[in-house]
Amino acid sequence: MPITIRSSRQWPSGCSVRALATAWRLGREWVALLAIGSLWGIACAGPKTTSIELFRLTPDGAANKAMQTRQFETPNSDELLSASAAVLQDLGFQVTESDRSVGFLRAAKERSAREYGQEIRRDIVAFLTLLLGAAGRANTMYVMPVDLHQQINASLIAQPIDDGDQRQTVRIVFYRLVWKGSGSSGNQSIPPGEQKMEMIRDATIYQQFFARLSKAVFLEAHKI
Amino acid sequence: MLEKSVCLATLTFLVALGLGACASPPEEPEALLAPTEEQMKIRNLQTRTFDIADRRIAMLGVIAALQDLGFIIERANEPLGLVTAARFAEPNYYDAVGITVTVRPLNEKQTTIRANAIFNNQPITDPEVYQNFFATLERSFFIGRN
Repeated sequence: MPITIRSSRQWPSGCSVRALATAWRLGREWVALLAIGSLWGIACAGPKTTSIELFRLTPDGAANKAMQTRQFETPNSDELLSASAAVLQDLGFQVTESDRSVGFLRAAKERSAREYGQEIRRDIVAFLTLLLGAAGRANTMYVMPVDLHQQINASLIAQPIDDGDQRQTVRIVFYRLVWKGSGSSGNQSIPPGEQKMEMIRDATIYQQFFARLSKAVFLEAHKI
Repeated sequence: MLEKSVCLATLTFLVALGLGACASPPEEPEALLAPTEEQMKIRNLQTRTFDIADRRIAMLGVIAALQDLGFIIERANEPLGLVTAARFAEPNYYDAVGITVTVRPLNEKQTTIRANAIFNNQPITDPEVYQNFFATLERSFFIGRN
């Protein structure tokens, strides 16, 4: 990575070899900074996924499909779709997208994503880095950004299984987007907005949804 | 004291610079709208014709195939024959792939299906990706009909 002239011009004058030499003398700060830097480095150099891998059927695909899918013995796909929308509304979702003819629904809800585990971990890391900083008489306290806000999404497809349209299958996928809150490293704050996505693989959430749906349409939900 | 803070700033800058090395350098922009032979090849890769008369049945097959591949259906529009879906890598969430599939009737008996996929906002030109997709799609049509 070449150092551009533009960025070196922004440095204050007099800070070059002399400043770096001082840095060597302040060994502890150096170590603390390196530790934080390498933590980031690990996150950056995580395993890379290729596009081909994302287009392969995976072994856990069948289990996921079974969890996300139920069959209903009814010819009325519209009723099933509107009941699904009603159940999602009951669960606090807002329907954001729909298409009747292919039996498609998408819904979202926004909630807080704060967890005790993360807050405790953040406090421990902050305390340890504070101690490290105190030993080196500098502010190296690292406050980890934690999950603050989440958007839970559902994507649902209700479609007939056979040509006779006597049975319908409903498949729903829940996933969430999580936004991390602001943390800080020493005197510098880490800007908020870091985001991650996660599939929801908790079977009970799917079971709850289908239990409500089968109640709503007065039909039994059959596992595939 | 001033020297010390300047020093910290320098070190933070160096760390940031090191992190910057992780990201790949931006590529030279190509002539964006010029048609090329490469484009024709990619278009051929992305397009398949199926012996299905009903567009809705074809769309349901596309949706089922995408779901089996672990995609989240984001948009579907039957009159336009359009399906948009996305998927992100697990368990690291840095890589994402998006796909747009268009289903159009070719004649009374056949339907043309075209898929455009992007990986981290870059178009996918790897033939294997599209081959995998269409293989799953064929399987989905086969299961759907039986």
